[in-house]
Amino acid sequence: MAIEAASIEAHIPGLRRFARALVRGDRERADDLVQDSLERALSRWHLRRPEGDLRSWLYTILYNRFLSEQHRQRRRGVHNSLNEAAESELPQVRGGQDQALEHRDLLRAFAALSAEQRSVLFLVGVEDLSYEEAARVLGVPIGTVMSRLSRGRERLRHFMNRDIDEPEPAPRRAK
Amino acid sequence: MSSERADLDERDFQASLDGRLSPERAAAVEAYLAAHPDEKARYERDAELRRALRAAWAAELDEPVPSGLRVARLSAERRRRQYWQVGAIAAALVLFVLGGIGGWTARNAGLGLMSSTRSARAATEREITADALAAHRVFSVEVRHPVEVDAAQQAHLVQWLSRRLGHPLRVPDLNAAGFQLMGGRLLPSEDGPAAQFMYQNGNTRLTLYERADSAGETAFRYTEQNGIGLFYWSDQDFGYALAGKLGREQLLKIAELVYHQLSSEGAKPPTAGKAS
Repeated sequence: MAIEAASIEAHIPGLRRFARALVRGDRERADDLVQDSLERALSRWHLRRPEGDLRSWLYTILYNRFLSEQHRQRRRGVHNSLNEAAESELPQVRGGQDQALEHRDLLRAFAALSAEQRSVLFLVGVEDLSYEEAARVLGVPIGTVMSRLSRGRERLRHFMNRDIDEPEPAPRRAK
Repeated sequence: MSSERADLDERDFQASLDGRLSPERAAAVEAYLAAHPDEKARYERDAELRRALRAAWAAELDEPVPSGLRVARLSAERRRRQYWQVGAIAAALVLFVLGGIGGWTARNAGLGLMSSTRSARAATEREITADALAAHRVFSVEVRHPVEVDAAQQAHLVQWLSRRLGHPLRVPDLNAAGFQLMGGRLLPSEDGPAAQFMYQNGNTRLTLYERADSAGETAFRYTEQNGIGLFYWSDQDFGYALAGKLGREQLLKIAELVYHQLSSEGAKPPTAGKAS
């Protein structure tokens, strides 16, 4: 129990952050998701491959819990719009006033991406997971990770540049 | 310059942003961007946003973890739950053995001690099992209208029931066990719509009952009532009950067949495999 507690514990801040990225900053819902995932991880500890990466395993559990929760809500007809994530629920930002404002704008733009795009941008860009690890966590092929990454970044840039009037980008770097 | 571009694709630019490109390819990306100022500006903006996103999320890691999320606390709760379950069952047994009405009351009290998730699980299971058995008894003896939509219109049947249940359904193929699909019908239940598929082999009919079940996954559970055997299980927020007048072993084999067919791909949340 002790080893398992200590090794899982180290990943809780990261799991909470991932959960918030998925649920668009709704802290309470994010922590419920983390608690649910931790309980599941504890009950399935014996199924973990000992040589596997613990962080990826925990993130996979959390992402699957998130998907089935979303699925349940859709079935019940619950729709989460971006506007439901109240201003106060977006991650707190530190630094000077300007930087804080820019971060706030950025996180709002980030929240406007699809869950698929958010999860890839977060795992790869913030958590530094390799493309293979991200693909495993999300249960999709690497090609899908790459295309979500590309489209997610493009959309994020678009949202952020709206006020400086960037022309619609020409179809970039067609393969 | 177009020759440089020819062997670069979008993945190289993404991998370059993430610092995951070999030095040679990174140099090729750099050379390409140097020759294409518009794309270079976009690339640099992406790099800047990537750094800003990391910085914006960085503060989140410093926040203290609430006590409810500490592993020690969660493990202790798990142990306590297990302890209470054992305790509750033991208490119920002891008191039940003491006999009579007293024992019955105590058993109810004992059950009350079980965790709410456990009892929700048990209640859902009882409900689905009872509904599936009732539906089996009523419709499997029906001569003229055993199903609402017959197997000849299988595509329509699946589409219709999937829409009503709000969940992509698949109809297992039980030919390997000698059972042919007759069709299916929509049924009401306490927890929204349910679907029943009916299969036939000679005079024996099998029904597969399905509906939403978010009380958690379970392994196969067997029940028998008036000669009708039933296997219940729950997987990916859906509950299944396979019922028929078959021996337990034979029914189990078919239940396993159904389980494997449903869990191979379709039971995953539909968004998981879709590119966006």
